[in-house]
Amino acid sequence: MARKTSKRPAAKTAKKPAVTAAKKVAHKQTRDTGNLPALGRMMLWVDRPGSANKIFWGLAVLCGVLFLLDFTYEKHGHFDVEHLPGFFGIYGFVMFTGLILAAKTLRIFIKRPEDYYGDKAIDREVYPEDQLDKVKYNA
Amino acid sequence: MPELIPTAFFFFAASLVLLAVPQGKARGALLLAVPLAAAWQVWSLPLGTFAQVEFFGFSLDLMRVDKLSRVFGLIFCLAAFLGNLYAWHVRDTVQQVAALLYAGSAIGAVFAGDLITLFFYWEGTAIASVFLIWARGTEGAYATGMRYLIIQIGSGVILLAGAILYHTETGSFAFEQMVLGSPATWLIFLSFGIKCAFPLLHNWLQDSYPAATVTGTVILSAFTTKLAVYALARGFAGTEILIYIGAVMTLFPIFFAEIENDLRRVLAYSLNNQLGFMVVGIGVGTEMALNGTASHAFAHILYKALLFMSVGAVLFRTGTSKASELGGLYRTMPLTTIFCLVGAASISAFPLFSGFVTKSLILDETAAEHYPVIWAVLVFASAGVLSHSGIKIPFFTFFAHDSGMRPKEAPTHMLLAMGLTAFLCVFIGVYPDPLYALLPYPVEFHPYTMSHVVGQLQLLCFALLAFGVLMRTGIHPPEIRAINLDTDWTYRRMAPSVIAIMAVGVSRIWTRWTRFGSSTITRMISGLYHSTGPEGRFAQTWPTGAMVLWIAILLGVTLILNFASHG
Repeated sequence: MARKTSKRPAAKTAKKPAVTAAKKVAHKQTRDTGNLPALGRMMLWVDRPGSANKIFWGLAVLCGVLFLLDFTYEKHGHFDVEHLPGFFGIYGFVMFTGLILAAKTLRIFIKRPEDYYGDKAIDREVYPEDQLDKVKYNA
Repeated sequence: MPELIPTAFFFFAASLVLLAVPQGKARGALLLAVPLAAAWQVWSLPLGTFAQVEFFGFSLDLMRVDKLSRVFGLIFCLAAFLGNLYAWHVRDTVQQVAALLYAGSAIGAVFAGDLITLFFYWEGTAIASVFLIWARGTEGAYATGMRYLIIQIGSGVILLAGAILYHTETGSFAFEQMVLGSPATWLIFLSFGIKCAFPLLHNWLQDSYPAATVTGTVILSAFTTKLAVYALARGFAGTEILIYIGAVMTLFPIFFAEIENDLRRVLAYSLNNQLGFMVVGIGVGTEMALNGTASHAFAHILYKALLFMSVGAVLFRTGTSKASELGGLYRTMPLTTIFCLVGAASISAFPLFSGFVTKSLILDETAAEHYPVIWAVLVFASAGVLSHSGIKIPFFTFFAHDSGMRPKEAPTHMLLAMGLTAFLCVFIGVYPDPLYALLPYPVEFHPYTMSHVVGQLQLLCFALLAFGVLMRTGIHPPEIRAINLDTDWTYRRMAPSVIAIMAVGVSRIWTRWTRFGSSTITRMISGLYHSTGPEGRFAQTWPTGAMVLWIAILLGVTLILNFASHG
């Protein structure tokens, strides 16, 4: 249950460049990156301090460009709203945010503990070990 | 004459041959060869109806090959191949046989030209597939499988009832376009709707798919629901109510998917949402809309299998598929990560990925036929797909916070299966013409116009940006260990407790009633005995002759009645 309490801040660090947490992650990585698959090592960039920031602002710039692109060509949509510059962008942003907020509200009403249907339900069971092949990467 | 053997029989014959082949490479090869042979047959058959047989005086069409059934038949063969490749390591005969029979039944159903054949294969998919759930071998999987089986068999029984009524109505069992209206067609529609996971009939899907084995879920995800989509497209194309059913289907699962913790259940919700797009296409019912449905089913089977494969590989290596337990796996499972991202991009319909070239067909046709509200719902649902399948699945599994797990990369055969599927997702996205050529009607559609590409990119990138903002502000709901209620609550919690309450009431009433009954009867008997028994008052005054007199009267009446009835 200790995991549960650490969940929120931990999930945030990946995107939010909370410097100390990111540094800790980076430090941990320096210890165990040696044997990582080459492709995995290349992707480590995403967890470097500041990378999340770069990704976020890069995305913001991309959105800006896409918005401006709307002025450069003639649209041929079926509805009038489609001709508004940036319609799809704004619609996407607003509806996505709305969706997340609505889902968060929905969770208040329908969330139940994992053992709600008893300990024999699949949500509580451990997946049978003999059907798995749990191997560590450096094994 | 190989074209005279129905494609489904390849799979049934192979499931018998399989038992004679030892486990290992030979059996694995057989499991891969069968779908390929079947695909080759489907590909090379001319269009037409083959393999007609007599069955209790009815003529059954086992192989109706037209452009609609062919595209579904082909993708089912392909899905069986990819699923079996992914399951190369499985040494469980039950699962291997179940996979063959399941794929065979689904393909048989697609080529069925009449409702009787359809019914047999319909039930075949139900019975074969449940073993992929039971193969997990736990108590929870057994109970879930039972629930799944009851609903699936129920759907088949309703189909049979509908088919029989349909026969009395029209004098034919032919499975053709129907008009919704009579009880017969409504029953058939309901039966299809259950398998297609219509709203409120949907929960068997999210209940059962996460319960199957690692490989079983991949195989399950391809057939049952897409068979239902095919059946709806064949029987109810242009039925307007489907547009609204489909729109609701695209909408409600995205909220559930967003807060679900088990990633395989997230994918089941997302599957439900994708079915919604196809159902809308069927409801619109124009040639282009049906093209959209068929092509979207084709692309969807691939990218959905790919996503289930990648999450399955993670489950295979870590023992869990819960978002709250995972994170940061890209370090040691980079290939699986990339394949998962390809699946995520495909389902989110990024340009150059398969979902883009197929979903636009449906969206465009909905707009062209002037359903502004439905169109707006579908565009919203597209952003919703991005939120759970595009972001949540890859982000919380492979990125986000580091779970500390360092599992090994997926085994080679799984990587091969994922790589092949990922390749197909990109290939269809980049070069959709071969897929378009397979569709039931000629395609006059160019997905890569400036309008389409920029519009779609805007939608997706701004939604991604919204995700970034919500993560940075901490508003995005965290992944937590919990389950969410859905309609399965009604039969897993409500019905049992209602029955329990009723049982108490009924047993109480029953006890009182029987007690009252037995005491009343005892009292009656003793009362009668008291008055008419040998010691009773009546017996004292009756002469013996009274009995003789009564018998004489009775005989007389019989005589008269007999005489009157013959006179």
